[in-house]
Amino acid sequence: MQQQEIHDFLLTYFKANHCEIIENHPAYLTIQLTIELDKELMNRPFYWHYLEKTGGVPNPSQLTLITDPQQAPADLKGELIHFGSQRLHQIFASTKKLAGFIRLYEEIIQSGPAQNPLYPWLSINAKISYQSDRKKDILLSAGLNLITGEIVEQFHEKLLQIQVTPKIPDYSFTLSPLIKPKSGLLRLDSYIRRTFEGDDHTWAERAIERWEDDLRLLENFYQDMEDKAESYYTEKEALQNRYEPNITISIVNGGLFYLSNQAI
Amino acid sequence: MQIQITFDDEWSEEFLDKVENDGPWANWELYKLAVQAEKHLAIPEFEGLQAPNHLNQLTPLPHQLEAARQVVENMNGKAILADEVGLGKTIEAGLIIKEYMIRGLVKKVLILVPASLVSQWAFELNTKFHIPAVVQRKSYVWDSCDCIVSSIDTAKRNPHRDIIFKQEYDLIIIDEAHKLKNNKTKNYEFVQSLKKKFCLLLTATPIQNKVEEIFHLVSLLKPGHLGNAALFSEKYKGKGRTIYEDEHLKKLVNTVMIRNRRADTGIEWTKRHVETIIIKFSPTEQALYDAITAFRPHSEGAGSSFSSLTLQREACSSKEAVFTTLKNMSQKHENPAPEFIEKLNSLFETAKQVERNSKAEKALELIQKINDKVIIFTEYRATQLYLQWFLQQNGISSVPFRGGFKRGKKDWMKELFQNKIQVLIATEAGGEGINLQFCHHLINFDLPWNPMRLEQRIGRVHRLGQTEDVMIYNFATENTVEEHILKLLYEKIHLFEKVIGELDDILTKLDIGNIEDYLVDVVEGSKSEGEMKIKMDNLSSIIQFAQEMKEGNLHAATGNS
Repeated sequence: MQQQEIHDFLLTYFKANHCEIIENHPAYLTIQLTIELDKELMNRPFYWHYLEKTGGVPNPSQLTLITDPQQAPADLKGELIHFGSQRLHQIFASTKKLAGFIRLYEEIIQSGPAQNPLYPWLSINAKISYQSDRKKDILLSAGLNLITGEIVEQFHEKLLQIQVTPKIPDYSFTLSPLIKPKSGLLRLDSYIRRTFEGDDHTWAERAIERWEDDLRLLENFYQDMEDKAESYYTEKEALQNRYEPNITISIVNGGLFYLSNQAI
Repeated sequence: MQIQITFDDEWSEEFLDKVENDGPWANWELYKLAVQAEKHLAIPEFEGLQAPNHLNQLTPLPHQLEAARQVVENMNGKAILADEVGLGKTIEAGLIIKEYMIRGLVKKVLILVPASLVSQWAFELNTKFHIPAVVQRKSYVWDSCDCIVSSIDTAKRNPHRDIIFKQEYDLIIIDEAHKLKNNKTKNYEFVQSLKKKFCLLLTATPIQNKVEEIFHLVSLLKPGHLGNAALFSEKYKGKGRTIYEDEHLKKLVNTVMIRNRRADTGIEWTKRHVETIIIKFSPTEQALYDAITAFRPHSEGAGSSFSSLTLQREACSSKEAVFTTLKNMSQKHENPAPEFIEKLNSLFETAKQVERNSKAEKALELIQKINDKVIIFTEYRATQLYLQWFLQQNGISSVPFRGGFKRGKKDWMKELFQNKIQVLIATEAGGEGINLQFCHHLINFDLPWNPMRLEQRIGRVHRLGQTEDVMIYNFATENTVEEHILKLLYEKIHLFEKVIGELDDILTKLDIGNIEDYLVDVVEGSKSEGEMKIKMDNLSSIIQFAQEMKEGNLHAATGNS
């Protein structure tokens, strides 16, 4: 992640969270945090607890984040931020936490008096992780049309092309879903499972081979012992923890989107 | 193949809840950011290291990155890191912890180190790796922190011991692990009974005295890897440190142990000292050189493959080299004009008059003075043979080395040179694929015109593992093309002080594909010495300029990562 990209990311994050941007210098950002974001990021629960008990005047922090230390003034006090820094990863986590669920409507520029029907879509952005003693992630964005049952991949990328709004626009109306959100989720679940069950899983076979190799060695090591020592069982369990292949599907975020017929 | 698949139900439940209650819903900008962040955090491949992208203020050395990669890719996360002192085992361990944390394979880490190193470990992990490692001071720390540094003596005692056994550590690291060489100690027993999903043992001295030490260490890490105790002791007991000689054991140990040696890492490069030695021709040698300079084989119909320049350069090396080319000329020419034959014969005669080789005499003198291993490089096989004979006449034995030798013969020659013989004489093609870092005197008997080839020559001795400063002696005969090249090119741009790769980079950028061809062009195409000098000066200033540009770039490139 380039420093410029990080800078833009931060700017969007703080703006979206209604923080006042005190200074937006190419090399750094100074932000006046809101009370909510102070609680979210600054890790000072005792202060907030005390303030609420005593009824004092809240004084949320200012934060200066330096994205380009070479260009920033030498005497500037602030946190250096880069990919891998704890602050950035805290903000990543916060973003995910604050943006887990959404509902949006397509904004259609109205030309005539006709009413625009909007179709309900259920979309999720999922991370599929292949894990043994090694790991790999695959991101998948899928959308399910809650009327036709059609499933579209790279749904998020398609959404990025569409004007959306949190309020239903005038002259638009939503069609009622034939598929309930709950069964929609199940459909997406089994769609993703089907997709990934068919993938190349040599990685898992290899992991099992490694596991079996180590198990053989372990058995050999303890073969002369009649009553196996506790450490034998511990070690065996550790091997399973390390090598056993599994796939986890976790949801980054998702929601309901009401889109015109020609949107997707 | 059936693999367990788990679906994140928590999200689904919360989502249905929001649908039920009509929100609250997230902001679209944040929603997009969350996807963006996830794209950056996703692990694209099973292989490779993600950690370096996350470590802005740390530039690990190549051997440290390689060690981390090895542990993750080939050792499945269980390894003995046994680099020599001062090579940064802590950095390697930090890289590995970071890598596993980024990949989400490790959350809880226990680091057991000698009491004196506890704070330093925690400090380094925090500052260099952004890993929130905490020093264990109070017993509640065990439960509340994911990455803990403690002394092994504290950890093994209750109440800590019991608490530790209740934790599920994903990665256990033990520094100064050679202290666990005795399997009868409390410390050993403690570490053995810890659950080690991933585990790193750090020590600079994996074996101090007895072969059993390595057995106990490896068995702690990967029980059974070296067989069981009975079998092992039957096979190796009492052999002490000589097990380093046992190929089978060495191989086995090396699959779980990484041992970089200081000498292998290029951390402490030795210096290069360059000395130019200008040699004066004897009168007969001068006469040969002059005769050759006057000779224009091309215009005399000898074909374009022969040039007076080739002969001139050979004359700077040895009359034997000249002979070979003259002989080739007469043989290859099908219908030689009588005048041409006559010219050749007269050159043969002039060459025969040469009764000594001034360069060879100088080389002999130098070799005797050095009184240590010397490698001589020459461009010509004839010179190589002559030198071998000449040195032998003067009581110095030498071995030849050529590119054409088979692998086995190369190894044999190298070994002879390393163990028995003072001098190795190599031709150009022999310059590649042989490492002679046990030798630190190099004579360039004649100079290649391609600086890269010169660099390859020097790279044979000035490489990782060279412990001495390297002495380079450049021979050049006075008032010849050789001297021009040496003075104008090599001395001006300080080629000898460059590191391998640097010059290559520069030449590629300048788009001078073959610098040797270019130089031949300059020398042959110039009508006067003045013209040649100007052209040479131009070239050297272009190279100098490119070099400065490159250094400038280097400074700029460190700005943004």
